[in-house]
Amino acid sequence: MAQSESIQATRPRFGARLVRTLAHPRLATTVLPACGVVLGLAAAGASLFRPVARPLTSVPPGYVALVDQKGVLMSDFIAQTQSETGADFADTSPQERRRVLREMIDQELLVQRALVLDLPETTTEVRETMASAVNAQVEAPLLALEPTDAQLRAFYDAHRARYTLGGTMTVHDLLLHFGGYADADQTLAQAEVDAAEAVYQLRSGAPIDYVMEHYGFVDSGRVDNTEQLEFAAKLHLGAKLYQVATTLGDGEVSDPVAMADGVHVLVMDRRRPPRPADFDSVRNTVYSDYRAAESARARAENLRILRSQARILLAPGQSE
Amino acid sequence: MLRWQWVAAALIVALAAGAVAAARAHGERERLARRLLATPPGEVVEHPTLVRFAFTEARPLFAQHCAVCHGADMRGTVALGAPDLRDSVWLYGDGSVYDIERTILFGVRSGQSKSHNVTDMPAFGARGMLSDEQIRDVVQYLLKLNARPHQAEAAEDGRVVFYGKGDCFDCHASDARGDSDYGAPDLTVNVWDSGGDPDSLYRSIYYGRHRIMPAWLGTLSLEQIRALAVYIHVLSHPARRGSQAAAG
Repeated sequence: MAQSESIQATRPRFGARLVRTLAHPRLATTVLPACGVVLGLAAAGASLFRPVARPLTSVPPGYVALVDQKGVLMSDFIAQTQSETGADFADTSPQERRRVLREMIDQELLVQRALVLDLPETTTEVRETMASAVNAQVEAPLLALEPTDAQLRAFYDAHRARYTLGGTMTVHDLLLHFGGYADADQTLAQAEVDAAEAVYQLRSGAPIDYVMEHYGFVDSGRVDNTEQLEFAAKLHLGAKLYQVATTLGDGEVSDPVAMADGVHVLVMDRRRPPRPADFDSVRNTVYSDYRAAESARARAENLRILRSQARILLAPGQSE
Repeated sequence: MLRWQWVAAALIVALAAGAVAAARAHGERERLARRLLATPPGEVVEHPTLVRFAFTEARPLFAQHCAVCHGADMRGTVALGAPDLRDSVWLYGDGSVYDIERTILFGVRSGQSKSHNVTDMPAFGARGMLSDEQIRDVVQYLLKLNARPHQAEAAEDGRVVFYGKGDCFDCHASDARGDSDYGAPDLTVNVWDSGGDPDSLYRSIYYGRHRIMPAWLGTLSLEQIRALAVYIHVLSHPARRGSQAAAG
């Protein structure tokens, strides 16, 4: 007893023995680090070789059906049933619910089939709808920001040329064919010479009907020679001829304009140019344009981000 | 055995017991979560156990995700136009668990096609659709509808605008009681998400309102969304608060 007591008295405490053990040179420099390496490799290996999740064999709560592991939400089922029957879900019959569920499962099958067939790659409508859906999500937060009057006015000031009122013109568009077009056998050069002569005659006061008969002009058919709004005239004449028309005053005749369908000569009967609209009179348009510009900016930024994250390769000789 | 061996043994037993208790608690939680979701939305509040579980789950979720807009007290934020969730006035649906759940799932004007997105409040003033005076008259009419002090003559002019040029009745209904299919508020209950003082009413009409709520499907689990829906439903229905008391 005395010997054991003396042994107990001289034996170090457990904690001290533990510290002394851990501080052993071989343990500290070799064994413990090795254990750490092994544990780390084991953890990495376990995550790497984790087994694939097993397919679900029953419908998880919150879903009404699984179609090839893709869930049909219970909430969607209720909403669809109420929408199709016009009644509260609780008041719908089992037959109605079965019909709606069958339709929803059919739609899910078709959607999955569409993915298998790679329809987003091959069908324009699908691609456009998907792109529109993405843009809708991008634009949604912006739409919550109501523009102030100052912002609208600044936008109006920056795009003042867009906002005009009125503007009409009555113009004749005379056309001289060439090069076999519409049975005309003269060359472009010949047509231009004839057109220049016709312009001289018109500017000297010759009637349009005389000039048309004498030189072989026809009415192009782009405008109907009655007063029309400027924006309509622009649509009918096209950008090039409209630009020429805007330089003409009342009674003036343009120089010949060579285009693909022949040589045109414009005769302006009467023009009342558009006048700038004051802000208050075009507020609604400015508001819509502002919103559209903000949405376009958001879409452009989204595309910039997508491009920065994508690896886009172009075939030789291609550029964008 | 030496003392340290007894200590180690006791420690191992305690750890094992703790692990078993944690596993059991986790299992119970999973069972309640499945049951919460499997129960039809209209029937959840009839089960105090599920209501209690929903409250336990939803409180931290609401604090983390919802309070930033709807307020920690769920009384809404006028500056954001985020509604009071504890009153009985609903923009969409009738405040049922299903309707609240649907709003949380897909949001309001979130960009998702299933979100509430039929229309919004147009900017009558910014768009030049109504004059300044007409808008102020409509404000007076709204004050009159809510039995608040108003200018009688202006209110009458506002009524004409409400049913005429403004076409306000088109969304807010001919009795001005709103339409929860559109999210058009009831204008007769004196509940104003963006402020009910004349200046705020004026701004709502002048600049319009196009508030959004994000879609939480994909961010929160279905169980979490159901728990939040139950939580909000019970707290917004005084008659239901008995089930909250029963839930503890």
